[in-house]
Amino acid sequence: MKLDHSAVTRRTFLNTLLTGWAAAVASGTLWALIKFAFPTLGKEPDFVVLKRADFEGIPLNSVKPFAWGGKLGLYFKKQNGTVEALKGVCTHMECNITYKPDEKKFYCACHKGWFDENGRNIEGPPPKPLEIFDIIVEGDKLIIAKKGVKVELPKA
Amino acid sequence: METLGALARSKTVPSHRFDVWYFAGGLTLFLFVFQFITGMALALYYVPHAEHAHKSIVDIVTKLNMGWLFRSLHHWGAQLAILVLFAHVFSTLLLKAYRKPRELVWLTGFVMLAISIFFGLSGYFLLWDERAFAAVRVATGGAGNLPLVGWVIKGFLRGGLDVTGETLTRFYAFHVAILPLVTIAVAGLHILLVQIHGMSVPLSQERKQGGPEPFFPNLFYKDLIVWLVCLGVVVTLAVLLPPEIGRKADPLAPAPENIKPEWYFLFLFQTLKLFPGEMLGMNGETIAIVIISAAILFFFLIPFFDRRSAMGQRSPLFTWIGTFYLVYFTVMTVIGFLT
Repeated sequence: MKLDHSAVTRRTFLNTLLTGWAAAVASGTLWALIKFAFPTLGKEPDFVVLKRADFEGIPLNSVKPFAWGGKLGLYFKKQNGTVEALKGVCTHMECNITYKPDEKKFYCACHKGWFDENGRNIEGPPPKPLEIFDIIVEGDKLIIAKKGVKVELPKA
Repeated sequence: METLGALARSKTVPSHRFDVWYFAGGLTLFLFVFQFITGMALALYYVPHAEHAHKSIVDIVTKLNMGWLFRSLHHWGAQLAILVLFAHVFSTLLLKAYRKPRELVWLTGFVMLAISIFFGLSGYFLLWDERAFAAVRVATGGAGNLPLVGWVIKGFLRGGLDVTGETLTRFYAFHVAILPLVTIAVAGLHILLVQIHGMSVPLSQERKQGGPEPFFPNLFYKDLIVWLVCLGVVVTLAVLLPPEIGRKADPLAPAPENIKPEWYFLFLFQTLKLFPGEMLGMNGETIAIVIISAAILFFFLIPFFDRRSAMGQRSPLFTWIGTFYLVYFTVMTVIGFLT
């Protein structure tokens, strides 16, 4: 069939078709590539379950590390016998901190940040205090949980 | 071959007071080729897995014939490549070789500098020792402080929420596949553009320059001499000062005492130390990262800001700006090194 009049020339029509096709292929490819290359981030745990016997016996004024997901958690027994659990990651640039028993402070070696024994940022660049967790004791289990998270263990 | 021969015969290089800086570009190219070769050799034995990476390097250094030499050469080649690259960048900056019509030469060169620094970071993360682990946490976390896009960059670089074995896989892919290919493309374009435009003559020397010198054989042989001397320096450093490797990275171990980044990150490290944790009610890190990013962006786009030298006029303001960048970089690096 031959049209007498047409809004577009054959060339414009083919060019549009080709450009559209190229754009569709390119954007589809790029989208798939980005979806693939960008990782699933996951999230930090709400709580972790530890063995009570491993932690409660540590000496006064010392810490014991545990795995908080992939990060460092510290179980901390103060000089006066009270215990805390906190995230052992500096709030400045995410380096792992260490406990200095002589000074009763936490220290980050990366940029010389200091926290007191309550986790407050007292010196150096850290902008925020350390994250303190809840400690729940249940039978022989020690549950370390994010503040305010309701812990529901699967029934055995 | 014919065209290459014709190009080599017809190519000339200007001669003037500052022509010695022309060698920095060729030397960078030489060191990159050197890194490609030593890197290929190391890749034959390196195992990119969190469980085995550290031990595979210890094995390369202690058990393989010449393994210690290749690791050491690759280490020192990288250090010198970055050093020479900085010399190349700052000489280009101060001699205003970026000015019209060579804007694209500058931009591609800047991309090469960024790639090289990422080469450095990804390369030393492959050691999977405590220092590298902390450094990559800080570097990727720092990128995460950028407003809006920070978390995307951080997640993409880390391959997850934290720095883990996934990050090692990613950095290996960057270091041995993605970055080398991008390097070949960008460096190829950079060198091609230099052939098209010829070497830039500084404005102050345009009336004082001597006759142009033929590239072949005069400068070709001079380049070879410089490369040979550089090779001698790299081998000497590699033999006398082999790099160490720290304890294997442990995500639950505290950051090692007196940890410092590689020297070419020290100026950033020192700058970050200047900012308090909180400023004007905002996160000090974020402010620092935004200011640093703005300064780097200005540096990147300097050919377009410097209107006077684009028109072939003297541009003292940009000489001062260039000097400021150089002095800031040098002073902060030295302070970081000494403290």
